[in-house]
This record gives sequence, structure tokens and C-alpha cells, in this order.
Amino acid sequence: METPLLSVQDLRVNFIGDNTVARAVDGVSFDIFPGETVCLVGESGCGKTVSALTILGLVPMPPGKVMGGKILFEGSNLLEQGEEEMQKIRGNRIAMVFQEPLTSLNPVFTIGDQIEEAIKVHEDIEPEILRQRSIQILKDVGIPSAETRLRDYPHQLSGGQRQRVLIAMALSCCPDLVIADEPTTALDVTIQAQILSLFESLQKNWSMSALYITHDLGVVANIADRVYVMYAGSIAEQGNTLQIFNEPRHPYTQGLLASLPSRSKRGKRLHSIPGAVPNPAHKPRGCPFHPRCQFTVESCRSRFPEVCDYGKGHLSRCPVLYEKQE
Amino acid sequence: MLSFIGRSIIQKIVTLFFVSVVSFLIIHLAPGKPSQIDPLNPKFTPEILERFRQEFHLDKPLYVQYLLFYKGLFTGETVSWKDNQSVLKKIWERFLNSLPLFIVGTILTWTLSFPVGIRSAIFRGGFYDRSATFISYLLISVPGFFVAYILIILVVTQLHVPVFGMETFGLQMASWPTKLMDRVWHLLLPSVLGATGGIAVLSRYVRSQMLEVEGQDYVRTAKAKGLPPDQVHYKHALRNALLPFVTMFGLILPGLIGGSVIIESIFAWPGMGRMAYEAILARDYPVILTVNFISAVLVLAGTFVSDLLYLVVDPRIRL
Repeated sequence: METPLLSVQDLRVNFIGDNTVARAVDGVSFDIFPGETVCLVGESGCGKTVSALTILGLVPMPPGKVMGGKILFEGSNLLEQGEEEMQKIRGNRIAMVFQEPLTSLNPVFTIGDQIEEAIKVHEDIEPEILRQRSIQILKDVGIPSAETRLRDYPHQLSGGQRQRVLIAMALSCCPDLVIADEPTTALDVTIQAQILSLFESLQKNWSMSALYITHDLGVVANIADRVYVMYAGSIAEQGNTLQIFNEPRHPYTQGLLASLPSRSKRGKRLHSIPGAVPNPAHKPRGCPFHPRCQFTVESCRSRFPEVCDYGKGHLSRCPVLYEKQE
Repeated sequence: MLSFIGRSIIQKIVTLFFVSVVSFLIIHLAPGKPSQIDPLNPKFTPEILERFRQEFHLDKPLYVQYLLFYKGLFTGETVSWKDNQSVLKKIWERFLNSLPLFIVGTILTWTLSFPVGIRSAIFRGGFYDRSATFISYLLISVPGFFVAYILIILVVTQLHVPVFGMETFGLQMASWPTKLMDRVWHLLLPSVLGATGGIAVLSRYVRSQMLEVEGQDYVRTAKAKGLPPDQVHYKHALRNALLPFVTMFGLILPGLIGGSVIIESIFAWPGMGRMAYEAILARDYPVILTVNFISAVLVLAGTFVSDLLYLVVDPRIRL
């Protein structure tokens, strides 16, 4: 078996408040293999973004604190790297596209400045070549008349164009891994589809791995090779896309899939999972999902569920369903 | 652009007109009359008072007084009721005295507040930030005159440096380096004191502004690109944090004429602030109103300048 490009192992991140400790990421493990697109799915507040930010060391500390685990990138633990080593990795080896295209670009610099800066910091490059490359990359992300657009400020672009610029910035150094944190959430549906297919084609063409964070299962079905379903700071279920969509083995995944609107459910009331994601500072004991779960048995309330292996990389943290299966 | 400038100037002239009317009315509504300043003075016989009232048009209706005053102001004929000197000339002399104090104080305030505030924000919660916060609140809460006296005692007893007035009396014959150093020493304490309050307040603003900007998404983007911390803080964050200070920078112009009554009084500095204060006590309307009018002009000019500066520094603002 090939070695993963990025391997997150039992990562734990806490946010320490004045008298509360929020366990935002609570034992998360996932692997990303070269060239693969991995989706991290879950409701808002389940720790997806914090996991991603921790990979790049962008979680503000304090209040954040890494309590344990490893983030192995090509074999070296990113959590043990110094600030200068991390600077060489950020943007250059691992790049990130953020959720909010409207606020993620600096309003007082031209987009040309901001793209060129991302390249310049990692490469020694002639100004003229730098310029050509910025123009090329803007063309690659589908921005018309890129030469003049370079001199525009972010406010002169539409939301979709700004997200394209952010993607251009992230891809400008041809990173090995792109982390995209809900890059289409803030955009119109039509633009979402465009950005998604752009992202996918660029990623495949340049054979980059991608970690795609989303709460949108439609997106997952479109682009993912493998899926990690995250709930309340830990991974509830993992598997390839077919396994997750066709044979979900965790009540949470089943609930998520049941809440998807589809043509066959037309006219009926949409399913919803009762309750809400627990506050990371006050998680229930045992399985974090048990207060919302229809299969809850006594042991769910007291013991954190074991991982159950369904074979072929399909894992789920629900022993109750596993026993029923057998 | 040109239409913006035109519109803005017309607006400001209209504002200025209302300021002139309101300030004129307020002065005349205020209790006390110029003719009643010293009713026990035997020299002020009723006849003299009547002459005084006629001479300064105090017997005419208010609107006539208003027109006469501003006619005098624009032709430069206004004189102080106290000593019959030209008001503009009086103000100009005092202005020249206040100017060095103002310039040194402003430079100290603006050059020191920013490094202190920015450093506090970057190392938030650290030892530096805590000490800076403590000292700032100390300086804000302790009255300026109190700090002034402590400093005067220290400087005079330890350094043997002259502190009162603008220069040492009797040095007219000394060589110019001696005179220069004498002026500098006199300038030092009042301008440092004038600046401390400003530094304490402004550095707090800088800190909170910088903290707000450091939490913005684009700062995180800058970090995610792999930029070194210096570029993240001083390029991406600072440039945005500075924007609101353009407004404040425009508003330091009026400080030119306001002066600082307390500092000037403590250090016996013959500046604008003291002159205005004394004019108010003496009900010397022409001086009060002229100072008021000039500072209104400076406020409006300051906002105009900061509007123009915004055009330069904030690309989102277009006219």
C-alpha cells in the first residue's frame, strides 16, 4: 500500500476559555493519499475547519491548544515544525482556499499584488516572469482579461471572481495538497457549480491532492474519492464515496443522507435529525451522537464507541449497528 | 473628483456660516457683559460705560453687531476690547509661540503611539502588553497637572534644567548655541507632558484597531500563503488598521489653535490656549470669536484633508 501524503493521527485541539474548555477536535484521524480528493463532511461546529487550520498551524494560540496527536506530512510531523519551516510549507506545499471569498482578500492591495506575493515568498523569480505567471494563473481560473484584472482591487470583483482569485492564489505555487474549506458556501448556486468544476479540473490536471471540507453532501458525491464524516470533534464514519452513499453504517451518516432533498421524496416533508450539534464545551458522555440517535442503547451513554471495520477501508464508530448487521 | 472638491467646499462654507451665527449668539447669551467686568472700578463712570458701549457697537441690535464684527474680521480691522490691539496680530504672535509646542507634541504623540500600540496588539496578553496597558491607564487617569508637578520637581532638582516660560530671562546677549539649547530645554517638558496624555489614549486606539484587523480573514489568508510574520503584521494588517487614523490625523489641525490651557498655564507659556482663556474671563468678544472662527475653519479644513487622504489610502473609496 502506498504511503499517505498527509496523515492526521488522533489529533486533539482544545479551545481554552476563562472557565470552559471546548474540545473542538477530539481524536481525529484521516489520511490523504497522493492525487486523491478527500472530503471532510459534517454540520457546522463539528470541528472540520479547526482540523484543517491546525494542519497549517493557523489556529490562533491561545485560545487554541493542540492537546495531542500527529500530523504527518511526507513523514514529518507538522506539529513539531518551527514557525520558519511552517512558512515554507504554507502556500508552497500545502495551500488553503477559504470559506469567505468576500473577506479573505485584503481590500487595500490589488489582486495582482496578492497573487504575486504568494509566489514571490516561495520562489526567487524575475519580476517579468512573475507577472506572466500571475496572468497565466488568473487565466487558468477563468478570469477574463487577466492582464487588466491584475490591477483591480478585490471590491471591483464579484464574489465568484474573488473565489477564483483565492483559488489562483492557492494554486500559484503548485502545492502538493490543497485544503478547501467550504469554498462554495458563500456563493450563488450557479456559481458554486462553476467553481466546483474549476477546482476539480485544476486539481486533476495538476495532480494535486485535495482535502475538501463541506457540509454539502451533493458536493461530496460529485468530487470525493473518499469521505470522512465528522461529528462533534471525531470521525463518525469513513469510507469511499460509494460505501458512504450506498451503505452508510453510522446513524449520523444515515440521518444526513436521509435529509438530502431528492426527486423521489418530492412533496414529502424532508427528514431532519432531531436536536443540534452538542456544544464542544459540554459534550455528552459516551457516544457524542447518542442524544440524537434512534438506536441508542445503554452502552452508548457510557462508553465512547469502538471503531467497527466493514472491510475495504469502510469504518464506522457504531457498534450497535455493527452487531445488528451480524 | 473636482465636483467632490467643489461640493465639499460649498458645504463647508455653509457650515462655517452657521458656526459663526451660533457662536456669536452663544457668546452674547452668556452671562456677563464686557461693560460690567469691573463695576467697582471708580474709573468706570456711567458716561464712560456709555461711550464704551457706543464705541464697540454694543448698543446696536444683535444682527448689526454680527455683521459689523464679521466685516471687521474679514477686513482685518477687528481690535481687542481690552488693549485695542489688532486681534489677528495678537493671535498670530501667540500662534507662533504655540507652534513649537504643538509640533513637538504632535510628532511625539504620533511617532510613539503607533509602535507602542502595534507591539501591544501583536504580543497581546504578554508582559509588554500588560505593562503598556497599565501605564496607559495610569497616565489617562492621573490628571496632567499632577504628572507635570512631579516631572518639574524631578527635572529641576535632578537635571537643573530651566522649565518655566519660553526662554531664560537675561540670555539675550548669549551666543546662539546657548540660546538654542535654552529654548530646547524650555520646550522639552511642556511638549513631553502635552504628548503623554495623547500617547496613552492614541496607543490604546492603535492597539484595539490592530487587534480587530489581526482577526480578519485576509490576515489569515496572508499567513496561509506562507508570508513571514513581519509581512503579515506590518503589511497586511497594519495597512488596514491605519485607515481610521486618517480621520484623526485630519482633526489634529484644530489643535494648532486650541493650544493647551493647562500645560501653558503650568509652564507660564504665552500661547494660544492661555490667550483664549484670558479673553473669555475678560469678555473680550472679538478675541474669543476670532479664535472660535479660526478653529472652526481648521476643523473643516482638517476633515477636508482627511477626506482627500482617504482617496489616496483606501482604494474602495472613489468619487
